[in-house]
Parts: sequence; C-alpha cells; structure tokens
Amino acid sequence: MALVDLVKPEIIKVPLESKSKQAVIRELLQVLVDAGKLNDFDAAYDALLAREAKGSTGLEAGIAVPHAKTDTVSTLTLAIGIAPEGIDFRALDGNPSNLFFLMLAPPNQSGPHIEALSEIARITQSKTFCKMLLRAQSPEEVAELLTEEE
Amino acid sequence: MEGPIRRILIYVDGTEEAITAAQYAVCLAKSTSAELYALYVINTRALNDLVKARIFLDSEEEEYHHDLESDAERYLKHVDKLSSRKGVSASLEKRSGTVHQEIKKYAEEVDADLLLIGELSHVRSRRDEFYHETERAMRLVHCSVLMVKDEERVWDLYDALPE
Repeated sequence: MALVDLVKPEIIKVPLESKSKQAVIRELLQVLVDAGKLNDFDAAYDALLAREAKGSTGLEAGIAVPHAKTDTVSTLTLAIGIAPEGIDFRALDGNPSNLFFLMLAPPNQSGPHIEALSEIARITQSKTFCKMLLRAQSPEEVAELLTEEE
Repeated sequence: MEGPIRRILIYVDGTEEAITAAQYAVCLAKSTSAELYALYVINTRALNDLVKARIFLDSEEEEYHHDLESDAERYLKHVDKLSSRKGVSASLEKRSGTVHQEIKKYAEEVDADLLLIGELSHVRSRRDEFYHETERAMRLVHCSVLMVKDEERVWDLYDALPE
C-alpha cells in the first residue's frame, strides 16, 4: 500500500490548534475518530505515548512522525497535521515541529507500515516540498500536494 | 516446441493484490506446465533508511525485522497452499535487501520468463514512480512482466481450476 492511498482530506488537519506534544497526538487521533478510522482512542493514545517514551519521533527540520503498532486499527492508518507556528514535540534538534504524520498500524502489517514510513522519510527530505506543505491552507491542498495525481 | 512461458516468478509482498497475482500465477502455471517460483523480499533497505532518518530506534528495527521474517514465512506458506491445492508445486524463496534489486537478481537466477505482480494503486504520484519498488522491478527485470488485474475474475479462474 502506497502512502498516496492513505492520503484523503478527511485525515488532514490544517492548522493544528494544539500547543503541546500530548495535545497534538490527541488532536490527530480525534481527526481519525471523526473520519471513522479509529474506534479505541485511548488504546491508540497509550500506544503512541509508549513509543514516544522510548525516544521522541520529533525529527529534525520540523518533521514529526509519531507512530505505533496497535490492534486498535485493522489497516494502516494515517493522520496528517500542519502547525505553521510550530509545536514543541521535544524534537531531536530542539526546534518546534510543524509537519506531523501520525501513523498507526496493526501488528500484522509491518511491511506496509515500513514502506509508508519510508515514503514519509523520503518526501520530507525536500525542504521546498515541506515549505509548500506548510503554506497549504486546507486539507484538500495538502492532499493534492501529496498525491500529485496526473 | 516449448511454449514461451516455462518459469513464472511471482513477487509476494503480502498485499491482497499480490495474493490475486499468486492465484493467477497458479492458473497460468497449471495451464502452461510452467515452473512456479515465489519470492518475498524483506525490505532491509527501508529498515536501514528509517533508522538513518531516526524514525526508528535500533530496538524497533530489530522488532520490525522479526515481524517481516514472520510475514515472509506466512505469505510464502500461503502461496504454497494456493499452489499445492491445485496440484502445482512452487519453489519458495525469502531474500533480504532492496526489493527491486532482489527481484531482478532472483529472476535472473531462476531464468524466469515471466514476472507476475499484483495490480498497482490507481492513484499514483509522479514522485512515487521513482521509488515504488514493484514499479522499479518491472523496469529492471530481464523478462516479460504481467500485471494481474480484476480480482473477481481471477478468483473465479482459480476456483474453477481442477484440484
């Protein structure tokens, strides 16, 4: 399953309202609940926090990729959030995070999980592309940038 | 004169599309008497990339590697079941590395005439074309490639095949 298959406007929030790490995780999980992609909010939240406790998924250059394996989802599930002003996600470089890719995967789908995370790692290597995402004004615009349908 | 298809390679990545392709491969192998080879590649390149990008911790890399080993066993066993149910024997192979390169290498090793892959996603990004492992394998392999579509039809074909 390619990343583009997961990207839909209903799983994207622009801009995020949260100001803290825990709050942004909750906000993105709520996006998934509202989109009908997640039933057990608490279990997913616990799984993500357990992963964050081992080391922050706030990377460099404003990118954060909170992720966890959890049986609260039956298929690979993605939520995307954009915070132009930045949120303290305890990133590795100490800077605020702006682009959030939250991913949940059922334990039996490690292959697609790894491929989707790799795609995120690749596309976020482009600073120009990340700037374009940050300037997006709506979920539809973010989805369009990520899918670039021909 | 021998037919054009003597050795079929099916790439299995655990997706439903790949399973459909495996069913079609069994149908094709049965009707052409071709040998069937099934390959699963543990994507260690992606795992390494995720550690380098610091998305994965070392402990996660180990955990996911273990998961992928289990996936390989499970999916190859499933192909074995699909083929043996129809009286077709399949050679099963598990490799580790960069997916498209391993597919290319193995296709050459077994001298495959045909690589079968599952249907690709309808919506593709231009950027993704450069990275999608199956698409890259399609371009790289020395043999012809068949992309299997229409899951329902393939299911019917497979079901109708004598056991």
